Amino acid sequence: MKNYLSFVFEAFWNTLKGLWLTLKVLFLPAITVQYPTEKIVPYPRFRGMPAYDSEACIACGMCVRACPSRCIALANAVSSEGKRMPKIAWYTLDYGRCNFCGLCEESCPTKPKAVWHSLDYEAVFGTREEMVRRWKRGDDLWGTAHNSADAQFAAVTDQIHIQDVPVRK
Amino acid sequence: MTREIFTALKTDQMFINFGPQHPSTHGVLRIALTVEGEVIIKAVPDVGFLHRGIEKLFEARNYSQALILTDRLDYVSAMPNNLAYCLAVERLAGIQPPLRAQYLRALVSELTRIASHLVFFGTFGVDMGAFTPFLYAFREREMVLDLFEMLCGGRLLYSYVRVGGVSADLPAGWTEKCREFITFFKPRLKDYDTLLSFNPIFRDRTETVGLISGARALSWGLSGPNLRASGPGYDVRKAEPYCVYDKLSFTVPTGKTGSCWDRYYCRMLEMGQSAEIVLQCLDALAKPELPPGEIMAKGVPKMLRPPAGAAYAHIEASRGDLGFYAVSDASPAPYRMHVRGPSFLNVAILQEILTGCKIADVVAVLGSFDIVLGEVDR
Repeated sequence: MKNYLSFVFEAFWNTLKGLWLTLKVLFLPAITVQYPTEKIVPYPRFRGMPAYDSEACIACGMCVRACPSRCIALANAVSSEGKRMPKIAWYTLDYGRCNFCGLCEESCPTKPKAVWHSLDYEAVFGTREEMVRRWKRGDDLWGTAHNSADAQFAAVTDQIHIQDVPVRK
Repeated sequence: MTREIFTALKTDQMFINFGPQHPSTHGVLRIALTVEGEVIIKAVPDVGFLHRGIEKLFEARNYSQALILTDRLDYVSAMPNNLAYCLAVERLAGIQPPLRAQYLRALVSELTRIASHLVFFGTFGVDMGAFTPFLYAFREREMVLDLFEMLCGGRLLYSYVRVGGVSADLPAGWTEKCREFITFFKPRLKDYDTLLSFNPIFRDRTETVGLISGARALSWGLSGPNLRASGPGYDVRKAEPYCVYDKLSFTVPTGKTGSCWDRYYCRMLEMGQSAEIVLQCLDALAKPELPPGEIMAKGVPKMLRPPAGAAYAHIEASRGDLGFYAVSDASPAPYRMHVRGPSFLNVAILQEILTGCKIADVVAVLGSFDIVLGEVDR
């Protein structure tokens, strides 16, 4: 009986000590970020959604070979004499298969990088087709996606980006 | 009258599926329980729900691509996975990483250990019905993840440790931020003790269940804090020092009885030791003998073709003795890569120690082992 009572007292006392600790934390400044209204900009090395610059790319294919999930494909542009030019004809990247590992960015030889991880972390897609992006020369950093309803390639409109123009790496 | 009621009660054995979607399995583990009343008479852990065939996937990728897959094994502490893989491949190819890279490796391993044990601390509390510690644990874990995001760009899957070194040096302001974290973190360990460790209700709940003797733990091949809680102080960092662990001073905390509480408290003490190691690494990295930028071994080819042969390297990961066995046939892709995942071996003992437990204790015992199903099933 005495043991039981002392246990009850001990448990009660220790719970009070724990509550005192949580009470002290109550008066500390809040660390919560009110997410949808307030958005954290990640550190510069953050690996977010890959962006691609079709003008800077020299179509060397290093990123294609580096990618562990084989989500990148490209074709060289061909000049009128039939020679391969250091420019792309098309470039595709499947965000659905991307590992976000950064090997494509590391292998890219151009300066600034033609393919690099932007700071975007809100990679939300409405359809599966939107995950597969295609670039032709002159397309913007986010490319176009095929829409099988009208069999057209179009820019994905409802994508949210953390920065308007991603910082180049 | 009473006798009649007792005979009318069903005394049949009953079969219960624990999981694979039970929240306290922390993943997808099924335990087939046979119970008699409240007592378990047979428990069969059934693994494989998260099997992705990673060991086979290694064979279809070259050595630098295969590194990305190692993150996906134990995703709560991905850094030691990278490290163990790289040590195995380096041993295979005869590469010696520079000293600065080795210090950085030890530094990030210990930070990962803190982050990983914080997840254990939080989720074990939740399993035991204490929700508050979870919030405290994740506040601190967030700080470690911020440090990693600053360092390598990943918050969960880092791919930071590379064959021959590490991928990036410390960015400006990182060291100060890390020291700030350690000064904030050390007193928090006392808070955790107040909140959970020495609460009599929690101790009463965990001190008497899941007892494992030292000999039994060894015979089942337990490793990491699960083994050390039972007594044997085997730690790869002491037994076979890799990286720079022979130059760092730390102790290996051990438990006595091998109860759930011992396994829990072993991890809490380990976090304190990890914090000390982090400080020692930061001091060493600030010395002029280790100039910034020397983070990669010279002459490591982009397409690595190690000579034909085999190599094994193991490290003390957050969950125990993690080993990689790499076999090369001198081609760019590994011929075979075997992973010795500590969680997989830790799960095996469940069938023995769950027998005789009450149903309510299954969650306590399972939670105290801190398994990650990504590593169990691979």
